[in-house]
Amino acid sequence: MESLLQHLDRFSELLAVSSTTYVSTWDPATVRRALQWARYLRHIHRRFGRHGPIRTALERRLHNQWRQEGGFGRGPVPGLANFQALGHCDVLLSLRLLENRALGDAARYHLVQQLFPGPGVRDADEETLQESLARLARRRSAVHMLRFNGYRENPNLQEDSLMKTQAELLLERLQEVGKAEAERPARFLSSLWERLPQNNFLKVIAVALLQPPLSRRPQEELEPGIHKSPGEGSQVLVHWLLGNSEVFAAFCRALPAGLLTLVTSRHPALSPVYLGLLTDWGQRLHYDLQKGIWVETESQDVPWEELHNRFQSLCQAPPPLKDKVLTALETCKAQDGDFEVPGLSIWTDLLLALRSGAFRKRQVLGLSAGLSSV
Amino acid sequence: MAQDSVDLSCDYQFWMQKLSVWDQASTLETQQDTCLHVAQFQEFLRKMYEALKEMDSNTVIERFPTIGQLLAKACWNPFILAYDESQKILIWCLCCLINKEPQNSGQSKLNSWIQGVLSHILSALRFDKEVALFTQGLGYAPIDYYPGLLKNMVLSLASELRENHLNGFNTQRRKKISLPMSAVVCLWLRHLPSLEKAMLHLFEKLISSERNCLRRIECFIKDSSLPQAACHPAIFRVVDEMFRCALLETDGALEIIATIQVFTQCFVEALEKASKQLRFALKTYFPYTSPSLAMVLLQDPQDIPRGHWLQTLKHISELLREAVEDQTHGSCGGPFESWFLFIHFGGWAEMVAEQLLMSAAEPPTALLWLLAFYYGPRDGRQQRAQTMVQVKAVLGHLLAMSRSSSLSAQDLQTVAGQGTDTDLRAPAQQLIRHLLLNFLLWAPGGHTIAWDVITLMAHTAEITHEIIGFLDQTLYRWNRLGIESPRSEKLARELLKELRTQV
Repeated sequence: MESLLQHLDRFSELLAVSSTTYVSTWDPATVRRALQWARYLRHIHRRFGRHGPIRTALERRLHNQWRQEGGFGRGPVPGLANFQALGHCDVLLSLRLLENRALGDAARYHLVQQLFPGPGVRDADEETLQESLARLARRRSAVHMLRFNGYRENPNLQEDSLMKTQAELLLERLQEVGKAEAERPARFLSSLWERLPQNNFLKVIAVALLQPPLSRRPQEELEPGIHKSPGEGSQVLVHWLLGNSEVFAAFCRALPAGLLTLVTSRHPALSPVYLGLLTDWGQRLHYDLQKGIWVETESQDVPWEELHNRFQSLCQAPPPLKDKVLTALETCKAQDGDFEVPGLSIWTDLLLALRSGAFRKRQVLGLSAGLSSV
Repeated sequence: MAQDSVDLSCDYQFWMQKLSVWDQASTLETQQDTCLHVAQFQEFLRKMYEALKEMDSNTVIERFPTIGQLLAKACWNPFILAYDESQKILIWCLCCLINKEPQNSGQSKLNSWIQGVLSHILSALRFDKEVALFTQGLGYAPIDYYPGLLKNMVLSLASELRENHLNGFNTQRRKKISLPMSAVVCLWLRHLPSLEKAMLHLFEKLISSERNCLRRIECFIKDSSLPQAACHPAIFRVVDEMFRCALLETDGALEIIATIQVFTQCFVEALEKASKQLRFALKTYFPYTSPSLAMVLLQDPQDIPRGHWLQTLKHISELLREAVEDQTHGSCGGPFESWFLFIHFGGWAEMVAEQLLMSAAEPPTALLWLLAFYYGPRDGRQQRAQTMVQVKAVLGHLLAMSRSSSLSAQDLQTVAGQGTDTDLRAPAQQLIRHLLLNFLLWAPGGHTIAWDVITLMAHTAEITHEIIGFLDQTLYRWNRLGIESPRSEKLARELLKELRTQV
């Protein structure tokens, strides 16, 4: 076991080195050995993928390495990230070497021979490296074709394929990080928040929170029988959002009203805080008597239209949420003095606007003006 | 050998030109053209590789000085790279160009360039920067997320195609995406939910406005591409399974049976048109039945002289009876499977009653059995025998009535009533009803009492629908088999029209 772990360490180092100019010193024999190591480790992955203890030991070793390098969220992985990466460590190594212009002539020639020996080379048990690489090239082109010819961003973010994929990756990583230690996910998410483009990150979080509960992700080919539940990932995200008010404020500000309504419906723990934010935003507006509208006090305040939009969207949500929102609005209105006349309390005006909007909608749809719940 | 090399040079010129025109295949025209040629191009690449691997890299450059360009152009065309094994063969060809011992910097540079191209084929795509940063930030490489990304993209494309299909290609959204048949088959073979959705759409039609109009159902089935796709046994089995389930769930609804019959007919037509290489043994489509039975059933009545129909039906009856009565211990699905097979072939199944009515002679036992089986597959031997006796009696009366000069609705009802006591089960009631309807359509005086009889018969909405279905199916069948009887047809149409206004 110990020798295996050492092997792992050495290979990780090797992988890191393979992208540096150090490879200029490599001769064909070195290349061959490197690929052999990779092949051996891939074989290990296949053999012990379902073997709980060994897999756990290997994973722990890799995570430790990771932690020393600053942990996930630090950027591109120099070495091996996790057990799953072991499954295609030979491809990873091959790609790095292939991309490395520092490779000498002899080493390069040998590399290419090793990677692409030609037809007729078959392995009964597993896919050859050549096949894996061909498959990667095929998939890459398929993605290229679809991305640049058949793709259009879906206005419903949670159905957009790029967004969904990112969300799936995030949930997967969260699961992994969570397994290592209890409080790691929160730190992980915080470090991501600091490093990654924030707007995109927020969208991905929202989409991740809307993923269907039991989806099987194709990235995982070997299930060691360890319990996998995507629901846990959502819980972690919700927890983190609730624990980071600055992030949550940005979350509620940046994302479209409809998306937020969906997220809040699905995760009721978020609704009090969301409503709280909306209330705060509302209180920052004041009534301009001359113009007859509610205006921002400071330029970065949320304008009336946006506030109205969000409340309108929330009022179209299914019952528990919708009722909560209306109750909140009524309460605020009451606290302000329970005015019915516009221009005095923003809550009165919002309720008026929401009701008339709903009435107009019913008229347009030809529905009877029966019982109004708004 | 020399001829091969001349051919190769010609091909080379041709493909060089093509590749230059296609460039990176960024327009619709270049994309379509690439797709049309992609298989041939792969063949060319194979031939190229066979030639190149025999030469050392210097010879290669001498022989094909622009080979580097050709290969590089191909590598910049994602449609070529994505196709089958083209990317592999391209890589092999590129490897043939690498100089084992570069003598000068020029050769060394060429090696480096080739490495670059190889790396490009495998490199990460330049996505939106944010996405790239995100995936990298999480520690993922493209090899990790390509499968998931592809799955999501294809799912989203598939659902868009489905929507387009349902909304009749809303061209406002984007240029029309129509998949060739082979692509549809590929999609259905790899993604079961797509196939299931296509079938569910068909079932939806059945309970909607298209209910009881087989002509429209036929159109819809043909448009759906399901019959051609079903030439592929795997798809046929899935479709058949869904039909089987629908039948079981609805307890043998006549609409479903009619749809299965229309579908099978379209399927057989498609099978005949399919190229020879797609022909599979009958057993792959109908694994639970004897080949001889399948072969007989698959014959189109149109291909058999009318005078021989009776004979064929008797033969079918014998084979089925053998299958049913010898399998009482539930092997191979038992009576249900035999019945399920039989009902596929509406041409024969719906003909039995007609044939019985038309023959003035003693009704053949085989046909009586077949009719009883068709309407009551679950009956035990005794019950079936009883039904056969009842049917024989009804037929006798009908024959007598057809010889009399005047008919009365009441008489007919009595004839049926003799069988329609309260202890007659639904299948037998249905059988008798259909016999009567057949009689009304064919008997010389039938039209005089038809409406009255039907009014007496149709005392529930369900039965009315059943009669409508029967009339529609009969007209459809006559039309297809070229059975000409203007009087009967006219009557059937009038009745159908009238009944339709009532529901």
